[in-house]
Amino acid sequence: MVTLWAAITANFLIPRLMPGNPALAMMSRYRGHINPQALHALEIAFGVKAHQSLVNEYFGYLGNVVRGRFGISLTFFPDPVMHDVLQALPWTLALVGVTTVLAFVLGTLIGLVGAWRRGGMLDSVMPPIFVITSAFPYFWIAGIAIWLFSLKLGWLPESGGYDVVDTPAWSWHFAHDAFVHSILPAMTILLTAIGGWILTMRNNTVSVLTEDYVRMARAKGLSPWRVMWTYAGRNAILPNLTGFAMSLGFVVAGAILVEYVFNYPGVGWMFLQSVESQDYALMQALFLLITVAVLTAILAADVATVILDPRTRDER
Amino acid sequence: MSASSVGATDQLATPPAGPAPMVADARQGRWGDLWRAIRRNRKAVAGLLLLLVFVVFSIFPGQIAPYSPTAEIFPRAVGPSWHHLLGTTAYGQDIFSQLVWGTRLSLVIALAVGGIATALAVLVGVSAGYLGGASDGFLSLVTDVLLVLPIFPLIIVIAAYEKNAGLLTLIVVLGVLGWSYGARQLRSQTLSLRRRDFLESARVRGERKSYVILYEILPTMTSLIVATFLGAAIYAVLTAAGLQFIGLGDPNSMSWGTMLYWAQNNEALFSGMALWAIAPGVCVALLGAAFALLNYAFDEISSPALRVRKLDRARLPKRLPAPPTHPAPDPEAEGGPVLRVEQLTVAYATDGGPVVAVDDVDFELARGEFLAIVGESGCGKSTLLYAIARLLGAPLPGEIVGGRVVFKGKDLVLLEERELRRVRWRDLSVVMQSAMNALNPVLTVAEQMRDACRAHSNMSKAEIEARSREVLRLVSIDPVHLHSYPHQLSGGMRQRAMIAMALLFTPDLVIMDEPTSALDVVAQRSLMVQIKELQEQLGFAVIFVTHDMSLVSHFSDRLLVMYAGQVAELSQTRELFDRPLHPYSQGLLSAFPSIHGPKVRLLGIPGAPPDLAHPPAGCRFAPRCPKAEPRCTAAEVPLYSVNGSAVRCVLAEDGR
Repeated sequence: MVTLWAAITANFLIPRLMPGNPALAMMSRYRGHINPQALHALEIAFGVKAHQSLVNEYFGYLGNVVRGRFGISLTFFPDPVMHDVLQALPWTLALVGVTTVLAFVLGTLIGLVGAWRRGGMLDSVMPPIFVITSAFPYFWIAGIAIWLFSLKLGWLPESGGYDVVDTPAWSWHFAHDAFVHSILPAMTILLTAIGGWILTMRNNTVSVLTEDYVRMARAKGLSPWRVMWTYAGRNAILPNLTGFAMSLGFVVAGAILVEYVFNYPGVGWMFLQSVESQDYALMQALFLLITVAVLTAILAADVATVILDPRTRDER
Repeated sequence: MSASSVGATDQLATPPAGPAPMVADARQGRWGDLWRAIRRNRKAVAGLLLLLVFVVFSIFPGQIAPYSPTAEIFPRAVGPSWHHLLGTTAYGQDIFSQLVWGTRLSLVIALAVGGIATALAVLVGVSAGYLGGASDGFLSLVTDVLLVLPIFPLIIVIAAYEKNAGLLTLIVVLGVLGWSYGARQLRSQTLSLRRRDFLESARVRGERKSYVILYEILPTMTSLIVATFLGAAIYAVLTAAGLQFIGLGDPNSMSWGTMLYWAQNNEALFSGMALWAIAPGVCVALLGAAFALLNYAFDEISSPALRVRKLDRARLPKRLPAPPTHPAPDPEAEGGPVLRVEQLTVAYATDGGPVVAVDDVDFELARGEFLAIVGESGCGKSTLLYAIARLLGAPLPGEIVGGRVVFKGKDLVLLEERELRRVRWRDLSVVMQSAMNALNPVLTVAEQMRDACRAHSNMSKAEIEARSREVLRLVSIDPVHLHSYPHQLSGGMRQRAMIAMALLFTPDLVIMDEPTSALDVVAQRSLMVQIKELQEQLGFAVIFVTHDMSLVSHFSDRLLVMYAGQVAELSQTRELFDRPLHPYSQGLLSAFPSIHGPKVRLLGIPGAPPDLAHPPAGCRFAPRCPKAEPRCTAAEVPLYSVNGSAVRCVLAEDGR
């Protein structure tokens, strides 16, 4: 709870410490287009008053946050911020959220199997390769992938969330279109994100394999499958849960570069827009979204840990 | 541990050395070892070489780059040639020269951010962990808040509004925001160190807190600190490149990210200047990879389990015992031995070549017999045990390099893993030293019994439940504990539960590795009595490994004394206690008091066991033996047979 409050406060303060006043930004944007009365009305609508003290503004902000009011977006004027965020969020969740989960699941499986077959092909080739791929700059991989697969080979569309001629609708045609557009960004995210999971899971498993209970499981003559899953894997995954939760929470933040490179209509792209146009209301809402997402994910990880690790149940 | 343990003799023997020179030695040794380990690790060498190339680039760009990076003086957008190794940009600049000059900025960002973040992480993490209390609460809160703050979006915001501040702002922001993850890890590591003896002793000596942190805590966390630094450096390189790429850096700065920005703006990939876009990306990736490789290598060096060593059989120090010539004897013959170990030899792969830990061991075990194996730690007794059970592998990564283990007529050494599984637990089960570690912490006792039953029988769920309750009752545990998790049981109960598990199928042989050493003396006794009763009642044979001779004196039929990987003496327990033949056995017996006998001065065995990588010539005990003679070191000493006992000592030759 304290963390949440501190994060909300930081969200409030940081944009305000930056040079540039949203009201001024607004005025410069609309100067000459609308008359002063309208401008004044806008000021009220945005809840941004140049003469208000920081403390008053802060409490007003807190109240609005609690009531889920984030004001009106400058970038997508006159949409309320909530409306815009809710429109962009599904795209990000479907693309970056799904691939983050996929990277974790696949990486964990590969890491487990690799460690299980110590010294095998998978284990001797895999770690150095993934050490290197996990250090690749994401946007660069994405650029190369676009160049190769959509421009040279023409297999996949190069950018966007769906075809420009389409309009979003719940139809098979649109779903297929959106899916095809998501393949390239998804693959590039997977390629850069999976390495970390493979490596940590491999290292966890290797150290779990030296535990007596794994040797005991072998002594019991259990099938290798059972030893690998319920004895080695089940214990090796525990330290990774919090890390996974953090990565889930940072889906929105991680989406920024992906959506920039692919012009994908998600919240990351929206965030860059808001920064460019000094749209504090939108920026704040997005920051808050990220913070809440991270905190929720960590909470979920704690719950999962309690379910998977009986030792933590009795400590409480 | 009581005075009756063999291990105590080590302390009796060596006078305590002053702490100061020991610490200095250890520190010097540690750096030397570290350097050697780095040189031997291919990933570390690759990472260091890559880094070195970039460092050279960044220090002498003027000498290496053929042209000025900014001069727009060449033909535009030409492909690679001898004049322009990587071609030119759309503005007529030499790409290779730009790359070389761009190294400096990336490297400076990486090292500076790594430095700042690591310094802050160490400061906050270690202080929080070491000071505890309110300071810990506050520092942890700050760390947690920073941890959930979205750093990358924040940096974007800051970079967007602070265009004029540039490099310094970027470094400070990345450094100041990027330390929280490392701090969290360092804190928990410090917390776990706090209770260790060496810190307690420093506290008792009255050392200042700053001294303790600097000289006692930090050196033990070197690998974690290095990992924090390298992690922050990788993050900084990638983030800085990302920011510059989306145009949030200074567009006139000379960096790889900026090159990518211009390349993207000019659609370099699609207009024949592919190298303009590819080369800087490769450089970012290589610099990141250099740090990542170093990070990975450090991980490997600090936890040796992550490395795979191959046993070099060609370098085994001596000829292997010739394979047994006579055929595997008397299959399933009633009355024959249940286990016959013949010339069993086990070797470990180490960095310095193979080490033979179990050397040519022979013994037989009759049905229902109780054999105890005693010896100092490191004598190879556990290795022998797990070699017999075919359970070598991490954390005892030895390999059987010779000999046989004939169990009920089958040579276990030759069995395939699948056939071996059929023998396991039904006919041969294992009880380990610490049930806390040997029971799977995330499964209940019932689940762990069930999977053993499922693996070896077609018992129904109800039958399994009934059998599990039955074996628990055998070891006097109330069956209500069946559905408990291991951590919910007391130490003694866990140990009993493990024994109960070993008896699920009433095997012919139960192998026990110091099953009582985790218990207090009273619990030890009662467990021993119970094991003996069960053994007599159910008729299984036992191999019982311990370093505590007195523990088994009333329970074992025969005793096998091991020294430096070899059998030193093997005889009836009473016989060995009354008339020990080997000077080592005599030394062991004089190391603990007898409750009934007259008061005698306790004598330890001076010296320490030999290094098995370089065993002494001749008798391995000779250097510590009070009765050593010149002939002891002249040749290998064979096992002599004296009145039904076997002993490896030249003195026995005289007595024959």
